[in-house]
Amino acid sequence: MVKALLTLPLLLFSLGLLAQDDYPTLKQLEERLKQLDIGFQEANLKSLGKTEGGKDIWLLELGTGSLHQKPAMVVAGGVEGFHLLGVEMSLQLAKKLLTDNKAILEKSSFYIFPNLSPDAYEQYFAPLKYERRGNAAKIDHDRDGRISEDGYEDLNDDGLITMMRIASPTGDHVPMEHRPELLRPANPQKGEKGQYLYKSEGTDKDKDGSFNEDPEEGIAFNKSLTYQFPAFETLAGDFPVSQVESRFLLDYLYEHPNIYTVFTFGPADNLSKPLAHDPQKASERVVTSIQKEDQILNEWISGKYRKHLPEDPFHNGNQGTDGDFFQWAYFHFGRLSLSTPGWFLPKQKDENEDVYSSQKDNFLAWADKQGMQDHMVEWVKVEHPDFPDHTVEVGGLKPFVLHNPPFHQVDSLAQIHTEFIVELATMHPQLSFIDMKTETLDRGLTRIKVKLFNDSPLPTHTALGKKSRWLKKIRVELSIAAENLLSGEKITLIDHLDAYGSREFSWIVKDGKTLTIKAGAPHTGTVSLDIAL
Amino acid sequence: MFCGFCFSLIPDMQAQEKFFRAIGTPHNPKVQVSWNRYHTNEGLLEIMRNMEKAYPSLVRLESIGKSYEDRDIWMLTISDFSKGDPDRKPAMYIDGNIHSNELQGTEFSLYTAWYLVEMHADLPFIQELLEDKTFYIAPSINPDARDYFIKSPNTPHSPRSGMIKLDDDLDGEVAEDGFDDLNEDGHITMMIRKSPTGRYVKDQRDPRKLIAVDPDELGEYEMLGYEGYDRDGDGKVNEDGIGYYDPNRDWGWKWQPDYVQRGAYKYPFSQPENRAVMEFVMKHPNIAGAQSYHNYGGMILRGPGAEEDLETYNQEDVRIYDAIAKKGEEMLPGYEYLVVYKDLYSVFGGELDWFYGGRGIYTYSNELMTSYLYFHKDAGRGNQDEQMMVDKYLTFGDAFVDWESYDHPQFGEIEIGGFKKNSGRLHPGFLMEQDAHRNMAFTVYHGFQTPKLEVIEVKEESQRGGIKTVTATIRNSRLIPTHSSQDLKYNIERPDWISLEGPEVLAGMVVVDEDFNKVEEQNFEPEKIRVKNIPGMGMVKVRWIVKGNRNYRIIVDSAKGGVTNWEK
Repeated sequence: MVKALLTLPLLLFSLGLLAQDDYPTLKQLEERLKQLDIGFQEANLKSLGKTEGGKDIWLLELGTGSLHQKPAMVVAGGVEGFHLLGVEMSLQLAKKLLTDNKAILEKSSFYIFPNLSPDAYEQYFAPLKYERRGNAAKIDHDRDGRISEDGYEDLNDDGLITMMRIASPTGDHVPMEHRPELLRPANPQKGEKGQYLYKSEGTDKDKDGSFNEDPEEGIAFNKSLTYQFPAFETLAGDFPVSQVESRFLLDYLYEHPNIYTVFTFGPADNLSKPLAHDPQKASERVVTSIQKEDQILNEWISGKYRKHLPEDPFHNGNQGTDGDFFQWAYFHFGRLSLSTPGWFLPKQKDENEDVYSSQKDNFLAWADKQGMQDHMVEWVKVEHPDFPDHTVEVGGLKPFVLHNPPFHQVDSLAQIHTEFIVELATMHPQLSFIDMKTETLDRGLTRIKVKLFNDSPLPTHTALGKKSRWLKKIRVELSIAAENLLSGEKITLIDHLDAYGSREFSWIVKDGKTLTIKAGAPHTGTVSLDIAL
Repeated sequence: MFCGFCFSLIPDMQAQEKFFRAIGTPHNPKVQVSWNRYHTNEGLLEIMRNMEKAYPSLVRLESIGKSYEDRDIWMLTISDFSKGDPDRKPAMYIDGNIHSNELQGTEFSLYTAWYLVEMHADLPFIQELLEDKTFYIAPSINPDARDYFIKSPNTPHSPRSGMIKLDDDLDGEVAEDGFDDLNEDGHITMMIRKSPTGRYVKDQRDPRKLIAVDPDELGEYEMLGYEGYDRDGDGKVNEDGIGYYDPNRDWGWKWQPDYVQRGAYKYPFSQPENRAVMEFVMKHPNIAGAQSYHNYGGMILRGPGAEEDLETYNQEDVRIYDAIAKKGEEMLPGYEYLVVYKDLYSVFGGELDWFYGGRGIYTYSNELMTSYLYFHKDAGRGNQDEQMMVDKYLTFGDAFVDWESYDHPQFGEIEIGGFKKNSGRLHPGFLMEQDAHRNMAFTVYHGFQTPKLEVIEVKEESQRGGIKTVTATIRNSRLIPTHSSQDLKYNIERPDWISLEGPEVLAGMVVVDEDFNKVEEQNFEPEKIRVKNIPGMGMVKVRWIVKGNRNYRIIVDSAKGGVTNWEK
């Protein structure tokens, strides 16, 4: 009641704030989360703790009643610091669930983590902008005994880190034929001589021959989890889950066995295009391919997703990268794991009517068609201390533009994704008892028969989840003592029920008037049935 | 209450009256310890505190973190503190008791610390060792479940984990149906029952022993498993107690989740005890060798733990592993040098794999206690006949709980009995000190072989115009290189720095071949040469071109090889 009274003025106030024209700063993000927390009974905002950079890892729990006992969907934004869109989408999703889609909160709960890379995310708002992935941990990326001694430098003073091209006979890059403002690797095997060295913007501060090899950033959340962890690679660290924000998140997820789906807004994509199944890799001891049954499920869900998209999407080719969150959620957490960049461009065609193979080319063709002006930095000459006798130019594609649409497009994308997510949550497993029969035998004995039915197009456990100890079994339990059962078990554990699958039970009980059968697991919800004998 | 100082109550004079020195053992230690019994955490801490009080210039005791139940994880640093910073000397790390039921690794680790400090005054070898090296010793890295194993009813195998309680049978309840000490003797032994279709009979010559009957024979008894009853009414006994997870599947090299590697917890170092160790190791890059103690079977184990990780262990490092462990086989009769994945089982997430794969540290796990120590025969692990012999002729019935009948709430009339939790895997008291000493000697050998760097030669050659070259030769006179080849593969540890201080340095280079003047110049910071590695029993040469005739100092600074200076 107190909450409801507070709601009105704050909501009015928030309408003014929402009229923003760019992705939210961390401060704006926090304000908007707090408004949802205060404005809605069904919302509960928590900080799981602070990152190395002192930023909160926010979690918004949405649900009604005993929300931790219902099937839940995790929604993760900001898995990459440069993926601003995911942060805004998670926020808008939360708002839309609370305002226009409250009914779904009766059936499913939502755990929304709007920004899992707040340290890196801030780089977009910093005086020097670049697509940052690493957090604020102090890391010696080139492992030379010195920390962050060779980071980026803004040589053309435009506040952006782009690329440098250095005219040199030893160069290994040439301008692209149809788009000379971009470079591609030269092909010496075909007699092609390179024209440019091509490096990120900066100098070799420590004079070790490498450029920007030890920047001022730490570990990337989306490259440092346990699945296919790329040990010792830049931004990955020395061992998996080394960072405190990753541990906050994983501890929370492991302690919430009711999670059914993990939905990621990030670069990886198994929604516009499902994962492929590899029978060999799927059956090795260390599983590195989606299981067959799960692949079929992925394909079906992907079909549903594509129906929400206005045009045939260009797929970015990323179906998971080493140490990322999306693959972890399936391969190591056993859940239904879905990921989308949230923004798709239509497939563009080149002068030969062929579709592009690279995301960058497709983007540039689209940008041209849109008449976008602001996505490139003109190449300008700079003085470079490491190349005093060479022509050095700085320019190229601006950071962030490839992954984040112009802000005015976000609303419609959030609407599409909210609709899809609600559709998905509606399909979460739904247990019910059907075909119950009691049959009185002689002398106070009763036979009870009943089917436990999963009234859902999704199975109760993914095929991989069946193997995982982090999904509970479905527990079917009678309320009477074991000694009053002449046939059947007091407690039965079931590994899983298929989509629209059922399992029949039969007991003979003695000396009772009423009893209750309960069935469920945290991630399927629990149902009960009272029986009068 | 004066026991903390009881070492001071036996003055030397009195000792000489009463004792005569046996070779190899401190005959009059300042800290008296009986090495023929096991210790609770309280007992351990008392010994460690006494050692620190008795030898403040050789012993540092610190807590490196807290366990799940908030106990301290204790670390002893053993080194000659009057001869340099212990955290900059090449170091040997030793721990015990990662598996809580595998107690003796703790006593063996502690014996090592005790022996080094109690013998320090007497033996020049130990003096030199502690001048050059540091031993980091964590006697128990699983203190919660150590005490639980000792103080609560358990089998010889339980618990293996720490004290985090999990839902073993995934029924939604946590640790709801563990063992029950039905006969209240502090041990979880076996339940057997007479049965018309039983497949066992009691051996007529030794009724403690159950033997299986032939396929065509009727038996008398059936086995019902360890002591307990069905507490939750699911028709199963002891299916969800303390345990399940395995602290030795929790380490961050090629870690795999539970469905791939049973016993893994949430993610690497998700168990606080291991996290404390990891953090200590990350803060101490001077650790160049490591040892963890387990039981049992008489093994000196190296990785890889998992067959899939075979390529991590390359020939160059295996050569060093072999050299140290083969010496170990000679020091440890009955112990065999083996490789985990092929000789034991194929496992991911083990401690020794992280130490080596993740930190580049040569590491062994010894499986302490072997059948060989009983009768100098190898009867294998868990040999019931031998155990019975041992208990009959050497321990006179101390290891066995005789069968007694018991009225079980679910099974009716049964019998309870069998081997006690402190038998089998654990050394009987009379075998402990010898085996502790031999294992200690193995780790001392390993620690001794961590790098020892010396500037053995400095040559000057005058060039024209007041310029000269200075060529320094730095030798590593031990087996272990400053960087294992695993380390070099990933640049785990920074390069070794060899610096010239004093005159102006015009150029610096590594001399690859002095005879034919092959050099590799370092174009930046020439006064501080980065060397990738100083190999074991090998050397590197570096050269500077300097101006003027000032005196100079050469400083060798290696994370795993320590710091050494040469001055002119």
